[in-house]
Amino acid sequence: MSHKKKNRNVAVIGVGQTKHSSHREDVNQPEMVHEAVRAALDDAGLTMDAIDCVVHGNMELFEMIHQPDLWHELGTGAYGKSAFRLTTGGTTGTTLFCAADILVASGMYDVVMAIGFEKLQEGNTTAGITNMADPLWARNLQTGALTGTCAYDVIQEFGEERAKRASMMYRVIMDKHAGLNPNAHRQFGLEFDQIEHLMESSAKLVGELRIIHMCSQSDGACAVILASEKKAKKLSKKPVWVRDHITVHREETFNHLGYDNRYPLDKTHKVAARELFQRNGIKKPLEYFDVFEMYDPSSWWGLDWIRDFFMLEGDEHFKLVENKEIMIGGKMPINPSGGVIATNPIGATALIRPAEAVLQIRGDAGPHQIPTPVKHGLASGFGGTMWTVLIMLEKELGW
Amino acid sequence: MSEKFGVKVEEIFGTMPERFRPEAAQGVSASYGYDIIGRGKWKLSVKDGAMKVEKTENLSGCVAVTKADPDTFVGVNIGKVDGTQAFTTGKLSVDGDLMALGTTTKMFKKYVPPKKELSTREYVLDMFGTLEKRFQPKAAEGLRMTVAYDIGGSEGGQWTAAIQEGTCKVAEGLSSEPTLKLSLKARDWVDLMLGRVDTMTLLSTARAKFDGDLQVAMKLGEIFAKYTPPGEEVKEEQELLVLKKVISVDQRFATGPVMGKFLKGLKEKKILANKCPKCKRLQLAPREVCAECRVRVEEFVEVGPKGNVRMLEYTYFASPDPLTGRTRETPYGSAYILLDGCKGHEIFAHYIRPDHLDRIQIGWNERKGTIVRPVWSEERSGSLYDIKYFEIDE
Repeated sequence: MSHKKKNRNVAVIGVGQTKHSSHREDVNQPEMVHEAVRAALDDAGLTMDAIDCVVHGNMELFEMIHQPDLWHELGTGAYGKSAFRLTTGGTTGTTLFCAADILVASGMYDVVMAIGFEKLQEGNTTAGITNMADPLWARNLQTGALTGTCAYDVIQEFGEERAKRASMMYRVIMDKHAGLNPNAHRQFGLEFDQIEHLMESSAKLVGELRIIHMCSQSDGACAVILASEKKAKKLSKKPVWVRDHITVHREETFNHLGYDNRYPLDKTHKVAARELFQRNGIKKPLEYFDVFEMYDPSSWWGLDWIRDFFMLEGDEHFKLVENKEIMIGGKMPINPSGGVIATNPIGATALIRPAEAVLQIRGDAGPHQIPTPVKHGLASGFGGTMWTVLIMLEKELGW
Repeated sequence: MSEKFGVKVEEIFGTMPERFRPEAAQGVSASYGYDIIGRGKWKLSVKDGAMKVEKTENLSGCVAVTKADPDTFVGVNIGKVDGTQAFTTGKLSVDGDLMALGTTTKMFKKYVPPKKELSTREYVLDMFGTLEKRFQPKAAEGLRMTVAYDIGGSEGGQWTAAIQEGTCKVAEGLSSEPTLKLSLKARDWVDLMLGRVDTMTLLSTARAKFDGDLQVAMKLGEIFAKYTPPGEEVKEEQELLVLKKVISVDQRFATGPVMGKFLKGLKEKKILANKCPKCKRLQLAPREVCAECRVRVEEFVEVGPKGNVRMLEYTYFASPDPLTGRTRETPYGSAYILLDGCKGHEIFAHYIRPDHLDRIQIGWNERKGTIVRPVWSEERSGSLYDIKYFEIDE
């Protein structure tokens, strides 16, 4: 993959979120989006006058509204400014982030705000996802976002008992994190001694994917403000630098499930990590990064992808989970926010990942702040047909 | 034996008939079971917009059986426990059609536990205790008068309200020369104030006596704001409206010569893959180009019809089929099948015959999965549904 260096450095200077929940019937969409915009502006200490351009996005068709950016204009503050709308399925949030970074890096705009939102209660998620599939044949088979294939793979490789226990351990850790995050949607208050019980009692969805493993359906919005180096240094006391990012997609991997090790297949997470770390000279990502905000749609995927993203071998990723090294205070804290399983307003979800990583680097995450210094952050997005976006964030310039 | 929330399991079932909303049960014909741990089993039957609920040991024929402990069950029903949370954490489980849970929820109005009523004595005291607070100075402008209340019986008492220059003072005891004197029993007074009985009824049946200026009696309703029992203060909150909309769209998609050939093949009971001229891999369904080699793919080969199962999505969750809007029968299974003539990742996705699901073995590396064959639809139109499903080849 050919890749060139940025024209100029870009930093995040403000982040804002709504409280995420299953029902936001107290506000309409523009009003909900405005809550996140307001929060991001307040966080940056700016007014809308400082914003040159707005990038707006969500998962297309989830609420069955075409170009919601028109309706949302009063909430986004985009009136009279340059504005773009982007939608790339589950990765929308990270795509918004990357686009804002590119718009600033290009020199076209100095300050850009990215806004992602979803009000899943207002539409039909399964219908939206099904209409994502190729209408000529795949739509007849598409049944929403649920799949038990990852659980099957992990069980095949590590044995039923260990696999089920590790994925539930991952789930309880995520819930413990969510319990500390005032913005998180689902906060169950799960305990480690419930693992045995949950492994068998939680209702099955597909194969060994149980309802407790799966991400929630949430209403919420997130906004992030990015600025050029010059502006960032002038406007912000704690700018967090966008070092690099990569987007890897391949529609066909969705259909590539041959399960035969004689025909190895590179997953997009692996490709993304390999390419991104190689071009940035990161040899041991597990040593380098201090936090990872991962787009984990289920605790099976979350568990499995740790290996891909950190380029680990064998059962190293299992051990990280089993020894609670992915908890706040552990060797590699993953999703101190509680992650996607706890909170999933889809168009905002992938933007919340870098936003939360930024808060960790700044030391402003509040109750779910990692206690040790956070200098290097990693954030991922996931969507549709196994798309992966991976973002590197830095506390200091000069990498 | 009393439940955590002060409501018995029996109350929930006992009030079902009065909470039933026939309009939400149109077209529903099914039985639903409830297994409340330690309390017994109930069966709810719904048919033709009517319902019946009975305590029974026999839950056969129910499309779904909900199982929960009494506290969780009551909590969910009165809105004290989040249903999704109870379900997700396994405190409430459903055996059978998960969607049934949602259907039954819509069929019943929420159970509101009856409020604990105040005694007549408590009401009387509260009514006079709040009289000054309920005084409306504007309505009493320019009025100067005393109103004596003689509330009879052991639960009653005597009060006098003195109104002058836009103020109102309430004191115990009867004033000697009131402008108006009201005499009635405590229970009738309470009923009158709560709107359960009207003044005319009380006067005409001689249960109340008004002595003095009857013009003043007519004005009392304006001079004092309406009494509301404690905890039932009317909140002037804006009703937040939610608009409900359904859209239905007819669509027409051109298939093009490549996909069109594949779909026409299905009509003729043939499964056609296309082969990349460069890397030689097969694509199923065929694609216009090989994305890896970026070349057009024009050569077709017939594959299958039999193959071995490489992955099975055994689905328990009855998600609605967005193409029809109908709830799917569960369990159902979608499978990734390696058809004869294909290798590696050249798999074909389709459904498995439901009653064969439990006998399907999944292949792994060299190990072959269960051999399956397509079952063709009688009427074929050039759609993936020209194959009904794959069944075990035996």
